Formats: sequence, structure tokens, C-alpha cells
Amino acid sequence: MIGFLHPLFLWALPLATLPLVLHLVARRQPPTVLFPAVRYLQQATQEHQRRLKLEHWLLLAVRTLLVLAVILSAAGPTVARKGLPGHAPTAVVVVLDNSASSAAVAGGTSRLALLRGAARDVLAKATPDDALWLLTADGTARRGAAARLLGLVDSLSASPARLDLGGALTVAQGVLEGESRPSEIVLLSDLQASALGQAELRIPVVVVRPEGNPPSNAGIASLDPGPQPWSPDGGSVRVTLSGELGRSVPVSVSLGDRPPRQGLGTVGETLTLPLASVAAGWQPVTIRLDPDEFRLDDEYRGMVRVAPVAGVTWDATDRYLDAAAATLRQNRRLVDGREVTLGGLGAGASVVQPPAEASALGALNRALERRGVLWRYSDPVGLLQVSDSGPLVGREEVRRRYRLEYTGGAPRGILATVAGQPWIARAGDIVLLGSRLEPEWTALPLSAGFVPLVDALVNRLARGEQASISASPGAPVLLPDLATEVRLDDRRWTVEGGAPFRPPGVGTYFLLAGADTLGAIAVNVDPRESDLTPATDAAIHGLWPDARIVGPDGARAAAFAAGARGDLRGPLLWAALLFGLIEIALASGRHRKSA
Amino acid sequence: MTISSPPANRPDLLDPLEVSRLGGIEVTTAGLVEGFLSGLHRSRRRGFSVEFAEHRMYQAGDELRYVDWKLLGRTDRLYVKQFEEETNLRAMLVLDVSRSMGWTGAPDRLLPKHEYARRLAAALALVLLRQRDATGLLAFDEDVRATLPPKVSTAHWHRLLRMLTGLEAGRGTAADRALQRVVEQLRRRGLVVFISDLLLDRELVLRALKFLRHRGHQVLVLHVMDPGEVTLEGSAEARFEDPETAAAVILRPNDWAEVYRRTVEGVVSDWRLALRREGIRYHRLTTDLPFGLALREALVRPPGLA
Repeated sequence: MIGFLHPLFLWALPLATLPLVLHLVARRQPPTVLFPAVRYLQQATQEHQRRLKLEHWLLLAVRTLLVLAVILSAAGPTVARKGLPGHAPTAVVVVLDNSASSAAVAGGTSRLALLRGAARDVLAKATPDDALWLLTADGTARRGAAARLLGLVDSLSASPARLDLGGALTVAQGVLEGESRPSEIVLLSDLQASALGQAELRIPVVVVRPEGNPPSNAGIASLDPGPQPWSPDGGSVRVTLSGELGRSVPVSVSLGDRPPRQGLGTVGETLTLPLASVAAGWQPVTIRLDPDEFRLDDEYRGMVRVAPVAGVTWDATDRYLDAAAATLRQNRRLVDGREVTLGGLGAGASVVQPPAEASALGALNRALERRGVLWRYSDPVGLLQVSDSGPLVGREEVRRRYRLEYTGGAPRGILATVAGQPWIARAGDIVLLGSRLEPEWTALPLSAGFVPLVDALVNRLARGEQASISASPGAPVLLPDLATEVRLDDRRWTVEGGAPFRPPGVGTYFLLAGADTLGAIAVNVDPRESDLTPATDAAIHGLWPDARIVGPDGARAAAFAAGARGDLRGPLLWAALLFGLIEIALASGRHRKSA
Repeated sequence: MTISSPPANRPDLLDPLEVSRLGGIEVTTAGLVEGFLSGLHRSRRRGFSVEFAEHRMYQAGDELRYVDWKLLGRTDRLYVKQFEEETNLRAMLVLDVSRSMGWTGAPDRLLPKHEYARRLAAALALVLLRQRDATGLLAFDEDVRATLPPKVSTAHWHRLLRMLTGLEAGRGTAADRALQRVVEQLRRRGLVVFISDLLLDRELVLRALKFLRHRGHQVLVLHVMDPGEVTLEGSAEARFEDPETAAAVILRPNDWAEVYRRTVEGVVSDWRLALRREGIRYHRLTTDLPFGLALREALVRPPGLA
């Protein structure tokens, strides 16, 4: 029985009639010419007419077969290897999805255990002539003999990393690209709906999925510690849960070594818990849920920076800055002091805005140069523009600004941009604003984000600190410009500022610039892993139309189908080539006769 | 190729230049022909003339046996009979004027075959009459269209020309009947010149020609062909239709040019061999050949041929 790897191409089969249709369309009654010696023509053609007609129909048949062969080869026909035991040498990539969600337990067995069992069945069927790869959630395809890969499968545990299945299939297909043997991908996965992704597949795929429903689950999606640093008075955290909507679970939050606070959280809602003050410094925040069938998302780690609020001095005649600073003082986010100068260049840390009078700009630039700052105020820009959305500032109107120019080569310390050009930049403990914080310059002072921005400027940025960064294992994190090292407990990575960094696992990573701590990366299981809802067969076929879906018990039988069936694409393409050559020979022969 | 013949619509059929070129041609026949007078042609009936030509007034010295006594009784005047005493050959020109003869492959350059054949017949008649050979004409298509018995008088050539001028291309071809009529016209052995494109029933015509030979006549077949019938040209597919039978063939000329050329050569060769076997002279002419030259080539007997 003939099967097809890409049966959709069979819809193009009617195109095989194209030569015949063109022939019929081209047929017409030629003009009549009176010619007395028709009897000579009849005599001349009588002997050759039969051969010519044969040539003509042969040409038509060859053209039809040529189109037919091309279409059929595109459809990827395969035929059963009747009477032969085993399978032909096959190249197989086994994609074993050991992402975090595979740790979920259903019916007393983890999903990963089921998938590992199915992977063992598949690998046990391999012969020494097969080429085998094992691709797991870390994204690396490992090649080896069946015995070695079986060892890897046995030692495999659930990874905190997330695996995009579309991406994994694309990688697997790339691995098999140069293989001359029949190729196949066996995907073993719990097939979370959120993990499915688009992949242009040209190789047969067998999808092995666990049977039965996944367990009910609630996990921690995010932790928001609010504006940082916290004052010694303490602060509050906002916890968001993910998983089965509407489910309520007890939530336990602890800060440093203080006793945890308890609360009742509901999936889909946000729980806010106040935490009492602790000592200054970076303090770990740990959220825990009661254990359920999926344990990896029941604990979440974060970091909170606790520090005394900045002592700030500012010009009280600056109406908008004064109002923001007064609000922060009232909320105990700053105190009067000389640690940070807000609105101008002071002796220490400063948040500098350009002078109202352009004539004072030169003196300001000279003062910045004396402080060793490599940023300068340059030309004024009077266009109405919008700031580029970023972590510090959203999209705000900017009416007037000065270009910020970096004199030290590649610009470093850019915090916000307008039309791609630096608008807020930092050099050490000095933050430069491209516009004055007044409505004539920018709409920022009138926006809701103005006071939090001033808070961040004086308490965090002018002090040279970054906010905490949340990330998932394996996902890239863009490092701050000044970062030189990343540290997790005793492990250290020397890094380059501005480059991406992929944390290998969950935990709290500290960012350092020399001996100074710039910030922290809290790496936790991707919150999408908490949603264990499986993809439907329709959704899978919608993305990978030719995928064959089987249960773990059917994995062994379904695997190596590419080798169990002979691939007819090669012979068909050779046949198409042969037909093409015959067509050229016949057509050129007729052409020569015509000439 | 330039044609020295006048255009087809000219009332006079012969180009003076061509006529002057015909002066040196002498029609010779190899076999015995019957005639009254000795001449270039050998005759079994020397000294006799059996064909009455005209009357003239008796003159002193005329032999009394030629006096027409019956006329003397009616008119009371002496006339003597004159016979075609100088006729030493009786020739019959048999001209095919079927529809196929009305075709030309290049109307702007070449005469249709029947125009060409008419000029050829006229020139041949002139040559024959100049040497005092009685010459007749028979034109046919699917039937006998016109007949002019062989005579040698000076007015005869003009009658022959008038007849030729009045001939138009007809419909089908039935040469066998025409040749049977020739047998009736030529009671004694003479010369038959058969001018045709030979697009006719080969077996019937061969049988009739053989019969003519059997009756002792010398036969000359002038096969007139248009160059367009000899060489097939053209790249576009066309439906070629026989104007006489409406038989048709659809083909692309260039695809068949070589095969067609060989076929025509074969047909000509078959005619030549079949006719030679019967002692019949055959000559193929194409209408792009000046007909004076064609006539010279056709009438000069090749060595070794009967």
C-alpha cells in the first residue's frame, strides 16, 4: 500500500493533465492551401505518418509522466517493504521533552517517566546501521549509538527549562538535513498547548503523547516586589498564580530569614502581602505553595534590595520636580539630604536635567567633563516625538530635547531613547535627562509614571543600581552595560556588559561590576509551564499537518516508519529526470526535422 | 528566375524573342511515319497525298488527273485539287487543361501550368508547321474540350492559336478518353505530344499511351510541373487540398520537405522508366524554365533514345 508523507500535494495531480489540455487548446484547423500534388503528399506521408503519430503521443505521454513524477515526488510516496524483517537504515532524532512540565505526576507516574519508557522502546528498536540523535530541553542534539542514548535517557530528569516544540522540531530537521538515509523525528512530549510552535516540516514526524488528563495544578507565575530599594521600614510583594483558573491555594512568603507570611491566593488573581523591615542589603524573597502533583512551580525565588532611602536635595522652584519629591518624601521614599541632587549637577550623585537657558549649556558640559562623564548635551531638537517604550519609561510625548552625545566610543549606560537616540543616560552616579521635566519639554511630568520614575532615578539609578530582573532557565537575559560578572553561589561567569546571558537553572544570580553589585536575576520556572493543558490533536495537525500521533505504547511500532517503508521520492525524481531527457531528445529531434 | 514569357493576360501567346530562338529546332522522329512527301521523316507512301487541302485555278501544264471534274460540271470552270503534298509528319498535340493545370505556386512570379503548357503547345505547333508537318490539337480535362484536326495550311496555325487562347483550366482529368480520341484523329502513324502535369490516373494513361505506341505512333510526354510541386516549403502547418478531388492532407511543410522531395523524384523516375519501357520519350519541365529552352531540351532527341 502506498502512503504519502505530504498528501496535500496530491491536490496538484490534476496538473498532470496540463500537457494534454495545452495540446487540445493548441489544436486548431490550419489554413487551407490549394495544392494539386496532394497525391504526392499522401504518398509521402503514408509511410511516415504512423511513426510521427507515435512520436507525438509518446511526447505527450512523456510530458504527462514528467509532471506526474514531480507532483508525486513532492507528495513523498512511500511503499511498504513487504516480506523484509526490521527496517532499512534510518536517521532518527528522538526529541524527548523533559521540560519542567514533564515533572507533573498523573496516576502516580510522572509524565517524564512515561516518556522515558517510550523513548527506551524506540531506541531499543534501533539497529547499528541507524543514525540516532537525542534532543532534550537544553536544546542540544546528542548523537550516539542506541546504548549510549539509552543511558542518557535513563539519567534524564525534568529540566526547569522550557522547550518550544516547534523550535525543537526545526532543530531536529536541521540535524537530519544532510542525511541520505530515510529520516524521521520522534517527538515524545506531554504536548502542553502553550509549548506548540510552528515548524515547516519536510520529514515525517511521529508524536508520542501520554494518555490521560494532566493533574490539576496551581503555580507561581510572578513576584512583584514593587519599587526598590525597599526602605528599612519594609514593603509589600504582589504574587500572581497560574494554573487551573479559580483554584485557591495557601501562599507562604518569606523575606530573608524572617518568619514567612501566609495568605490565600487564587489562580488568576493577585495576592499582595506586606513584609516587615529587614536589614539593609540584598534580601531573598521565597514564595511557596502547598505541594501538588507538579512540584517545580510550587516555589519561587526573588530578590529585594533593602536600603535607606536617598537623602535628596532639589530646587523647590522647579514646580514638577518639587511636587514629585514632596510626594516621595511624604511616602518616606526619600528624605532631605545631600546624597543625591535632583534636577541639577551636584557634588555627589545627581539627576541632571538641561538648563532652561541654552547659554548655560556650555558650562554644564564643562562641569560634566570635569566629573569624568563621557556624555554631553549636544544640539537641541524641537520636533514633537515619542519616547521608545522601555523598562524605565513608556511611550511619552517629547517636544523639546537636547541630543545626548557620547564621547567615549560605543555609547554605554543608555536608559531611555527617543526615535532611537539616547534620551536618558547614566555615567556612574550621574543620570542625564535629555529634556527638562516640564510639560513644555515632555508630557512625562503629567503622566502617572512620573513619581515612580523620580523614585527610581534618585533611589536606584543615581546610586548605580539596577532593578531585579526576572528570567527563566535557558532564556536569554540582556545584561546591564556595566556588568562584568554573574555569580550564583560559588559559580561565576565572566560576562560582557550588554551581551545576553542564559542562566542554566533556577536560582538568584547576582550581577557585578567589579566589586560592586549592580543587581540580581531571579530565575524561576517559566510560568507557562504551570499550565498543563494539553494540545488537541486538531491543534497539532493544524501546525504539523502530516504528524502521526500515537500513545506511549504505540511508540515502538510507529518509530522507524520511514525505514519500514521505502521512500519513492528518489526513484520518482530519477524518473522525472529520465522523462525530461527523453522529452528533450524527442522535441529536439522534431525540431531538427523541422529545420 | 526571370521569365521571358509574356504575362498571362497578353493576347499574343508567343514572345517574339522566344519564337526567334525556335528557328533552329527540327522535330525528328525516329520511327516510321506516314506522309505524302519525302522529307526529314521517312514515309511508306512516297509520292501520294491523300489529304485534300484546297482548290486553285487550272494553269497550263497542270496534270489533268488533279482536275476536279465535278466542280467543272457545276461551275463550268477548271480547278485543280491541291493536296498536302509537303506534309511529311502528322502530329497531334494533346493538352491537359484540367483544374490542376491552373495552379501556380508563385502567382506573382510564375505562370500557371496551363498557361505555360499553352505557350509550349503553340511554340511546338509553330515549329512543326514551319517544317510543313500537319499539326492538330486536342485539349481535355475530364472530357475532350476542343479538337483541331492536323493540317498544314498557313491559316492553320492561327486557328490553333485561337483555340489555345480560348482554353481555360477545366475541372477533373480524364486523359484516357482524350488519348482514345487521338487514335481516331490519327489514322496513320504519326507523332503524339502529350502535355500534362500527369496528376491523373497513371495506369489508365499508361495503357492509352501504350496503345498509341501499339498503333505505331511516336509519343512524347512533356511533364509540366510547378517548382512549388517539386519542393515543399513553409514552416506553418497547413491543410493542403487537391483542387480536383478535394482530398486533403494536414502537415507542416518543413517537416516533410525531404520525404516529399524523394517522393516526387520517385514519381518522376517511375514515369520515366515506365514510358521508356514502351519506347515513349518523357521530359519533365518546370514552369520557371523559359519555355523555348524547355522545348529545345524536350525535342532534341537524346542519344540512345528511340
